[in-house]
Amino acid sequence: METTIRFAPIDVGRWFVWGATALLFAVLPLVFSSGFAITLLSQMGIMVIFALSYNMIFGQGGMLSFGHAVYSGLGAFFAIHALNWIGSGQLWLPVSLVPLVPLVGGVFGAVFGVVFGYVTTKKAGTPFAMITLGIGEMVFSASLMFPAFFGGEGGISSNRVVGEPFLGITFGPGLQVYYLIAAWCFACMVAMFAFTHTPLGRIANAVRDNPERAEFIGYNPQRVRFFVLVVSAFFAGIAGGLSAINFEIVTAENVSAIRSGGVLLATFIGGTMFFFGPILGAVVFVFFAVALSDYTKAWQFYLGVFFVAMVMFAPGGVASLILTNLRVMKHRLFGRLRDPYAGVLLSGLVLLAGVVMVVEMSYHLTLNFAAGSRMRLFGFEVDSAAPGIWLLALGVLAAGALGFEVMRRRFAREWGAVQAEIEERSRREAGV
Amino acid sequence: MAAAALNLVDLRKSFGKTEIIRGVSLSVARGERHAIIGPNGAGKSTLFNLISGRFGSTSGRIELNGEDITGRRPFEINRKGLSRSFQITNIFPRMSVYENVRCATLYALGYRYSCWHRLAKLADAAGRAEDVLHRIGLRSRRDTPAGTLTYAEQRALEIGITIAGGAEVILLDEPTAGMSRSESDRAVELIRRVTEGRTLVMVEHDMSVVFGLADRISVLVYGEIIATDTPSGIRGNRAVQEAYLGTTAAEP
Amino acid sequence: MEFFVISLLNGISYGLLLFMLASGLTLIFSMMGVLNFAHASFYMIGAYVAYQISTWLDELLPGTGYWIALVVAPLVVGVLGALVERYGLRRVHKWGHVPELLFTFGLSYIIVELVQIIWGRAAVPYRVPPELDGSLFTVYATHFPAYRGFMMLVAALMLLAIWLMFTRTRIGLVIQAALAHPDTVEALGHNVPRVFMLTFGGGTALAGLAGVIGGNAYVTEPSMAALVGSIIFVVVVVGGMGSLGGAFIASLLIGLMQTFAIGIDWAPIALLQSLGFEIVPATPLYSLWSLKLSQVAPVLPYLLLVLILVLRPKGLMGTREG
Repeated sequence: METTIRFAPIDVGRWFVWGATALLFAVLPLVFSSGFAITLLSQMGIMVIFALSYNMIFGQGGMLSFGHAVYSGLGAFFAIHALNWIGSGQLWLPVSLVPLVPLVGGVFGAVFGVVFGYVTTKKAGTPFAMITLGIGEMVFSASLMFPAFFGGEGGISSNRVVGEPFLGITFGPGLQVYYLIAAWCFACMVAMFAFTHTPLGRIANAVRDNPERAEFIGYNPQRVRFFVLVVSAFFAGIAGGLSAINFEIVTAENVSAIRSGGVLLATFIGGTMFFFGPILGAVVFVFFAVALSDYTKAWQFYLGVFFVAMVMFAPGGVASLILTNLRVMKHRLFGRLRDPYAGVLLSGLVLLAGVVMVVEMSYHLTLNFAAGSRMRLFGFEVDSAAPGIWLLALGVLAAGALGFEVMRRRFAREWGAVQAEIEERSRREAGV
Repeated sequence: MAAAALNLVDLRKSFGKTEIIRGVSLSVARGERHAIIGPNGAGKSTLFNLISGRFGSTSGRIELNGEDITGRRPFEINRKGLSRSFQITNIFPRMSVYENVRCATLYALGYRYSCWHRLAKLADAAGRAEDVLHRIGLRSRRDTPAGTLTYAEQRALEIGITIAGGAEVILLDEPTAGMSRSESDRAVELIRRVTEGRTLVMVEHDMSVVFGLADRISVLVYGEIIATDTPSGIRGNRAVQEAYLGTTAAEP
Repeated sequence: MEFFVISLLNGISYGLLLFMLASGLTLIFSMMGVLNFAHASFYMIGAYVAYQISTWLDELLPGTGYWIALVVAPLVVGVLGALVERYGLRRVHKWGHVPELLFTFGLSYIIVELVQIIWGRAAVPYRVPPELDGSLFTVYATHFPAYRGFMMLVAALMLLAIWLMFTRTRIGLVIQAALAHPDTVEALGHNVPRVFMLTFGGGTALAGLAGVIGGNAYVTEPSMAALVGSIIFVVVVVGGMGSLGGAFIASLLIGLMQTFAIGIDWAPIALLQSLGFEIVPATPLYSLWSLKLSQVAPVLPYLLLVLILVLRPKGLMGTREG
């Protein structure tokens, strides 16, 4: 890491932060009230729980897993069967049980956390990552073998409007589903945050930092990792259960490597070192996957490039970017960065424009050729087969790449100088 | 008679064909401060690793307060009341100094794998951590990430983590390695304070530290103990002087 | 009998292909400590590049395309790999193994998308050259394709070349030393970063070669990387991370296992019924009993993985804990 991340506790009352968050959850759909916005918010809510659960093992426990969707997906399957079971009328209760369905997902997520966790936590580090990949593939393959439970290619569908309406709430309209998700999301956020302040949560950090030393203060690192995984799988299962309610369908895709990769991307992009990082990451990821995918078929490519760029240049994620910049501002050194930032942003935009042009035109040529070579690019009608536009695109790309590299180096120099300045000041203040 | 705090019976360790520890037998009484000295390569760190469970022994027995701990894993041994520090600082770099010490208290205080206790409310863990911080003199660095401390501060933290669990038997592996004279003197005082009433086994190179702290000294040469005696006895021991080729043993 | 012999030969050729991939992966892991998640993606690039080269050249000089591609495509992939190491992986190297793994993971994502951007989403017609497209010999009534035999030959030659290089040449010795003690090797004047770049490029070139010969035997499409990718990780973990010998045994084991399983339609229901049990669709767990081995085949490598982890976590011949 180029910069030292220091703990900068923001001194705002805990109640204020949580209260404001709850208020935000309640008010958001009133501000963004279109149907599309509500579905977007609902999906973000589910992803937030999923990403936070993933960060329990990744950021806090130091375990990189490529198969976390196993727990959320299996939880989703059990939840949707429960939903169908409720709907079949075999259980008569005056109150709609739908709000409790995610708990079914959570319980079964935890059960499989125990089963698979026992095997996977036998190793740590890179072998652990590979094993989770294998287990994930195994569950995915197995899910296609038992169509009675997993529904084969078509999956299992359900109807969430079951049971007696409670106070007029049927969970049919999207807005009601949003509030259900928001309530669960808030509850899970509180629970997972509280977990980080328990002995197990803190020892998980110790095992992450130095598993050997943790052994010498009385802890079995394997046990610690196992317990953390089970708790994490519980919350992943809740996310799965909410997904079952929201989409009313669960397929093999819910346990696929794509889902597992997605939550990894989301958590990492948000930032694994701070609790709120995965929340940001979940929001960004859902935005890419749901909103951007409407504009371009190449959204996965852009997401991948964004992810690799973050791995290379900002491994602490968006959260650490925000916090380190806040720290610079606190030390009133941000003025020195204003010009370098402008340079990087401008050249970055040019580079981005060039990349988008090339990618979108290529995609159009290879995938949509039947429709002819004309397409819309940044609102302009262009002929994607014409050499002229290609020359322009490549020119923009080259100029952007060159400019960006120059600006980036300048920025890195200035940033390093600013960080060194801050270190020096802190050292003087500490009287060392 | 009470069982010895630590008892080694004909301990042997081979790596492949090379025998590093060749039949070490040693008995450390309760409350004793025992130092293990010897030339480089004698096997002092290996011996510590055997006792604390980091390596498995090839043969022989290790007893802690009369109980056989041979072949047990480090966390099992730690839970029975033996704690060790490391020659190469082995702390939790991304956690704060306070958290480092507090983590070391948790298992001993019985919290184990609990995820239902709120850390902030655990008065006993907090109290003990504060106490240890005070004793190792790192109160002012309470909230700094441990990875950013100076070398001497990290060595002090290393000792702090070792004693925080309240273990009866403390093993310190070259606690003053790399320290200046004044830092060493401060470290000696620290060690003397924190091991009051406990059993201490220490590996050291610095003779002033050894002769200032130890009740008894054992000399380890090529994996064997050639002498165990009081400091003055060791000073005068011909075999020990020869082993050191007449260099350090004679120094005050 | 016929089934047995054909499946044996097919299983060995598939296993050798897996080993070509697993060996490159193991080499990179052993030398650099980084597990190249994108290894199967370089395999895919090798197949696509070979397809492109052979298609272009067959228009200029008919009949030569494939043979030239056999040499050129792995080189192209190797150069790509070296560039990736130099400008991407190296920057991330200083932050440890997890960021490196994440980098290669993101890379695999991007490569799949790039392949789709350039060549589209459908499979491309990468064909076996006519000279090799025939039967090598017949076992009873079934032909054993000449191309499979060619694959096995290339794989064997490749392994021989690697083995010779490591044990007989100076470069091989330097690489072995750099594996264990990179700082010492650098102090002795060897350019360790360059060794890393060459190693990564070499490993990916091997994957590319596997792609050249495997792409036309199987299908060349964007999902080919994902299909074989997770299997080779299973191979590496089962064989023991860092062990070439273990990877060899595991590759053959898994190759044979899957090839045989796919051809067998036996299900436990047959056994139970022969023991006198009445098994009908209403019987509990009917879907389990009626599962044919051929249906279970895709899961078998992962079951083996779980078994190894429970019984022998170090892998068959594991040396490095990873």
